[in-house]
Amino acid sequence: MSDRQATIRPTGEELPDMTDRLDTPADTGVSAQKQDPPTGPDNRIVVENLNIYYSAFLAVKDVNMVIEPRSVTALIGPSGCGKSTFIRSLNRMHEVIDGAHVKGSVFVDGEDLYRPGVDPVAVRRKVGMVFQRPNPFPTMSIADNVLAGKRLNSKRFAKGEADALVEQSLRGANLWDEVKDRLDKPGSGLSGGQQQRLCIARAIAVEPEILLMDEPCSALDPISTLAIEQLMNELKSTYTIVIVTHNMQQAARVSQRTAFFTIDGTGQPGYVVEMDETDVMFSNPKEQSTIDYVTGRFG
Amino acid sequence: MPGDLRSEFHQQLDEIQTGIARMSAGVTELIPRATDVLLSMDLEAAEYMIMGDDEYDRRAIELEERCFTVIALQAPVAVDLRSVVSAIKIIADVERSADLCVNICKAARRIYGHELDPHLRGVIQKTGDQARVLFKEATEAYLNLDGVRAAALHDMDAYLDDLHRQLIQVIFESHAAGHIDLQVAVQLAVVARFYERIGDHAVNVGDRTRYIVNGWLPERPYPESDNDPPTVVMVPEIDNG
Repeated sequence: MSDRQATIRPTGEELPDMTDRLDTPADTGVSAQKQDPPTGPDNRIVVENLNIYYSAFLAVKDVNMVIEPRSVTALIGPSGCGKSTFIRSLNRMHEVIDGAHVKGSVFVDGEDLYRPGVDPVAVRRKVGMVFQRPNPFPTMSIADNVLAGKRLNSKRFAKGEADALVEQSLRGANLWDEVKDRLDKPGSGLSGGQQQRLCIARAIAVEPEILLMDEPCSALDPISTLAIEQLMNELKSTYTIVIVTHNMQQAARVSQRTAFFTIDGTGQPGYVVEMDETDVMFSNPKEQSTIDYVTGRFG
Repeated sequence: MPGDLRSEFHQQLDEIQTGIARMSAGVTELIPRATDVLLSMDLEAAEYMIMGDDEYDRRAIELEERCFTVIALQAPVAVDLRSVVSAIKIIADVERSADLCVNICKAARRIYGHELDPHLRGVIQKTGDQARVLFKEATEAYLNLDGVRAAALHDMDAYLDDLHRQLIQVIFESHAAGHIDLQVAVQLAVVARFYERIGDHAVNVGDRTRYIVNGWLPERPYPESDNDPPTVVMVPEIDNG
């Protein structure tokens, strides 16, 4: 990779207090190069000069972005602009496809996820993912679904410990009260919205620091959608959340910052047009193509 | 890429804007008519103007409801959102300005039968003309979404404020000289304030137009000095001897 030197970074700069930053988020736009990566484990994601390929095909080009910790960042844009490809590169899920690779860096806590020697499985433990369609393991019980990730990642654990983790994770996903009497029943027996929250419980059971959500509500009814949005609002006090959504109103409702991706034409790479505070993106975006997209004026 | 995917919605926004601009153009014409009513003491025209105000109120409510519907059904964002939010506020400014023209006509009824001296009539005419010019500029800036033109309204309003001051001064002088009695002087001072307020509403329309164009907002939201009547510096001594 051409930009390895970017991994050697100054670490002296003091970061402001976290609560202070939540009140007045720093204006960190797409030009992330000027930003120093965090020195503490605050789960800020700093993406630098990221180019994402499927074999020789460049799918997403030149992404520079800072994703603030303990907040929700939404990625919006037309189909095929590379949002999902990009979000999958944030936990190295992208490379499970044959020939798929990236150039550039993704720093989490100042550590480059793409540094040689980094174990992708360890990355995915730290950076969880929730997908578009709820995908609980159909034959496993609700409790086993919650524990599935944890069991893959570590040794067996004691019954009491497992019960506590199941409860804690299901509570964290706002599902506990609805399923506590049927933990041994199959996860596939739940409604779509409950299944999706079960998948979120499964993701947070492995205690990730970052949660990626790729259109987590697009297969859900409006009530389940609001339940997931409510959950995101609660989870953001603990996790850094990145969500891809086609629903612009959802992006407006749940996120603090929004990035707009677009694509100039078929066969062209997707790229980030603009990233800003969500209220700015939906009240006074700067770029004409963002305005055209959010207001429905294309062409 | 296809063209405008929300053409019906955007047509609704255009119709709201045109409807407001039409109403605002109507108010622009009400201002000189109110001045004529005042200077000619035409009671019949005054009555006609006062009755006509119901139509402005009705149109204001109708346009406002269309804005609420658009917000409820279309979830406007970006320039569309700014356009609807500004429309709601501009409607209020325009409707209020129509009320102020009616108030001038009501004042005309109260001073019926009293002669105004030529100097006083001249300054009233100039003040009314300037208020009309401001409203015309505000209307056209809004209709054409011309931010530069809208920004010029602040300076034009400063001139109207000067005229307001001058008018108050002339009213005092006219009263001191015994040309008008106290009741007429008070009515005319209130009329002077109505013209000045119309100018402020025109400035507000301009500011909201700028907000639509590029999201511009005043640094301090509507500083009090803009909406307060200008201070009258000179207070003439009333000669009671």
